[in-house]
Amino acid sequence: MIEEQKYWNPVLETLPQEEIKKLQLKKFRRIFEWTYQKSNFHHSLYRKAGIKPDDIRSFDDIRHIPTVEKSMMRDIQRKDPFPYGDTLCVPLDEVSEYHQTSGTTGQPVYQADSWQDWEWWSECWSYILWAQGYRPSDRIFFPFGYNVFVAFWAAHYAAEKIGAEVVPGGVLDTQARILKIQEVQATAMMATPTYVLGMAETARSKMGIDPASLTINKITCAGEPGASIPTTKNRMENAWGAKVYDHAGATEIGAWCYECEEQSGGLHINDGFFLVEIQDIETGETIEEAGRMGKMIITALDRYAQPCIRFDSKDLIMWSSDPCPCGRSFQTIKGGVIGRADDIAKVKGVLLAPSAIEEVVRGIHGLSDEFEVIVDKKADIDQITLRAELIPDARDKEDSIKIQLKDQLRLKTNLGYIIEFHDYGTLPRHEVKAKRFKDLRKTMS
Amino acid sequence: MENEFDLKGIHEKIQLLKKVSEDILEEADDFPSLSRNCSRILASIKMMELNVSDIHGHS
Repeated sequence: MIEEQKYWNPVLETLPQEEIKKLQLKKFRRIFEWTYQKSNFHHSLYRKAGIKPDDIRSFDDIRHIPTVEKSMMRDIQRKDPFPYGDTLCVPLDEVSEYHQTSGTTGQPVYQADSWQDWEWWSECWSYILWAQGYRPSDRIFFPFGYNVFVAFWAAHYAAEKIGAEVVPGGVLDTQARILKIQEVQATAMMATPTYVLGMAETARSKMGIDPASLTINKITCAGEPGASIPTTKNRMENAWGAKVYDHAGATEIGAWCYECEEQSGGLHINDGFFLVEIQDIETGETIEEAGRMGKMIITALDRYAQPCIRFDSKDLIMWSSDPCPCGRSFQTIKGGVIGRADDIAKVKGVLLAPSAIEEVVRGIHGLSDEFEVIVDKKADIDQITLRAELIPDARDKEDSIKIQLKDQLRLKTNLGYIIEFHDYGTLPRHEVKAKRFKDLRKTMS
Repeated sequence: MENEFDLKGIHEKIQLLKKVSEDILEEADDFPSLSRNCSRILASIKMMELNVSDIHGHS
């Protein structure tokens, strides 16, 4: 009976949008009041802006509240209550979980969660798993390094919560993980797109195992946009003979959106637990219409120990106007997280999103899963080099693949590229998140 | 969409459960196994509040 239920929360997930909006406003006021009272950092920020809890009566009032950026969190941390500093809203002895951001853009940010907040994390993930068809009968393999990064930790707890069986594949290497999947006949797994493709390649090339012959029937991705890039998604689904689903989350925010079983090209925002706003990157104007990209400002409506209120995530998203056939009333964003505002590079005066290059490369048969993009300058002129690998069977098609690549990249990004083909297996392989886009102009100046 | 759940009734039972758990917690100051398990129960009850109590007036 429960296995057949389509929604994790049949009431909330089908609540009419106008009721969801009322719920969001009520919850926003509650978390804002709490944070105003408990967090010295937020209290000071809002007092300087002249905003008090009673001032929040509408969504328009919310838009006047100052946003919080990651850099602001860095400045106040490593102080008492150590190491979280002034944003902590509960006594230190109520903190039960420590995680931190990866620190790729600077000093890592520490994130405290009380047990209630950790329950909340796994609750958010339970919505995701249920919507993607995970059920108590699933045996889920987790091929990730269980460490200070939040990664799939909460998914693990959510898998337990929904009643599934969890197989932790923590310290095993890739080959041992594949053998374990085979041994226990796991039905699902979770990883970054880079690692999903890397595992498939290892299985095929080093172990003589066709990953599609294993028992994995669904995969949930995180950490990179690949599962929402159709060509990368196709590669993963074909390699594993499984459905691949996207989701988005972050250490400071929570697991805020997900693809459902319909795979309609959009991701549902968990509107019951998060308030998402989209702002124009340059003007800060609120974007309400579908199809216009902007950066996400997000509030976690029920996270209390170290709240997340109007956090400027830098994630680039756009509203979708297409209703999802799944029947959920939650809003959808088209194509998932398209990129990050600080990853968009201006090359020859054109804005370039690395995900656009990935979409082209992964759509061309004859190229391996790996590639690199190098942007540098020659005689003061920007140039882009794409390094890719031909798979062994495609070596005689080098010229036609090069033409195909150049044409499609020009069409997709409005830019010309120098194409370099490298021997199969010689470009760097990545274990978790890949850094395939390198802008050397920053180090040349 | 009309739902077939008695959310008000479920909400009232959740509040009852919460009250009982809070009462036990109050008595558990010197009883770690009772206190900590009760705290965890209250966190789970909070999730039921998020899933039902918060929305019962909206559905």
